[in-house]
Amino acid sequence: MNAHPQFAEALAVYAMGALDNPQDRAELEAHLGTCGECRRELEALRADTALLALSAVGPQPPERARQRLLSAIAAEPRMEHRAQKPFVVGRLRSRWLSFAPVAVMLLLAVFSLLLWRDLRNTRRDLRQARQRETQMQQLLDQERERSAHAQEVLDMWNAPNAMRVTLVSSPKARPQPLIKTIYLPEKGHILMVAHDLAPLPTNKVYELWLLPADGSAPMPAGTFRPDSAGNGMMLHPMQNAGISAKGFAVTVESERGSQTPTPPIVMAPAG
Amino acid sequence: MRVSGTQAPDHQDDAALIARIRAGDQSAMAGLYDRYSGVVYGVALRVLASTTAAEDVVQEVFLQLWRNPQAFDADRGRLAPWLAVIARNRAIDHLRKRPQEDDIDELPISTGVDLEDDAARRLAVEKVRGVLAQLPQEQRKALEMAFFEGMTHTEIAGKTGQPLGTVKTRIRSGLLALRKVFA
Repeated sequence: MNAHPQFAEALAVYAMGALDNPQDRAELEAHLGTCGECRRELEALRADTALLALSAVGPQPPERARQRLLSAIAAEPRMEHRAQKPFVVGRLRSRWLSFAPVAVMLLLAVFSLLLWRDLRNTRRDLRQARQRETQMQQLLDQERERSAHAQEVLDMWNAPNAMRVTLVSSPKARPQPLIKTIYLPEKGHILMVAHDLAPLPTNKVYELWLLPADGSAPMPAGTFRPDSAGNGMMLHPMQNAGISAKGFAVTVESERGSQTPTPPIVMAPAG
Repeated sequence: MRVSGTQAPDHQDDAALIARIRAGDQSAMAGLYDRYSGVVYGVALRVLASTTAAEDVVQEVFLQLWRNPQAFDADRGRLAPWLAVIARNRAIDHLRKRPQEDDIDELPISTGVDLEDDAARRLAVEKVRGVLAQLPQEQRKALEMAFFEGMTHTEIAGKTGQPLGTVKTRIRSGLLALRKVFA
């Protein structure tokens, strides 16, 4: 139903206009700017709220409400409709003496048309300005995210209480591939820096595994592809904080990653 | 060629009415009002609990649709759910005494539920009420507080004494329960 479960609940509350935490809203709106699937889910959730609205359907408005609306509509025929009426040409041909009032009406019609176009353009400009503002906000959010990301990396690098594990592969490989991991269990964040990894086929990725201290099954801890020189870096948040780890390992998996490691383990803790 | 005994789907009727309204046809607007004023009025009355204020919302919503029928995009959704959500948003604006906007919102809403035919709509109303009656009371209350009372999830959490996460979960689960019945 939703490819991004981390936004699922916020999206439902947002569809109701009830998400009032500015940070949550900014994050969600930034995500909606780039995720078509979540935009479609938002439209579906709005439709769900419309179903909820149906529970209130029953009472009918009084007849006077209908009359009020129809009178209001009759009092303001729409511009496009009025412009289509051919009366101007007919009157000019048949009754030249009425030229002056017709000319005034023509001028008024033209003037109204210009005003209407001006209004339409102003509305369009306003819409464009809002779009630009949204784009600027998204850029700002992205910059903030990058800045927060950099700060997170720096904090993890300097954290005195972090668990640090170096992973190596078979000693025969030259140059020797090396992965350093820094893990903060209380936040559940893993910082990984890789050097000199072997290149992979395009449909494969490396996957990092957290090996729980209680001996339970390895947990997926992020997939990555090194650059052409075999280097890479990844900051991965585990779904839950507080998991105690005894180490990390790396396998090669298909490009979508896996929930269980596929042998062989290509990188394991040194020593 | 006209085939006797067949009828265009109701969705086509809505689209045809909107096309006529775009061309300035006042009788089409009257037809649209007759079909959907009950939806708009019912929602507004539920939110505002005042017949006078609900009539004002009906007037605003239909008059603005008349002024800007382009706001509704028939390719992106159906008219009844769109009007229901617009009516709710307008009514909440009244409730919270927020300034009224000159234009109606261009909210994309996707639904396959047929609400255009009277009988289909009555059936849908019964189904929705049935689902709501089956929901746990706290969940139904969270949905209603958010939708009909315009409360934010923080306000709901404050009023019910429930954690924010619980309120969010209840709102989403409630909406999905409604969707499931019409899937």
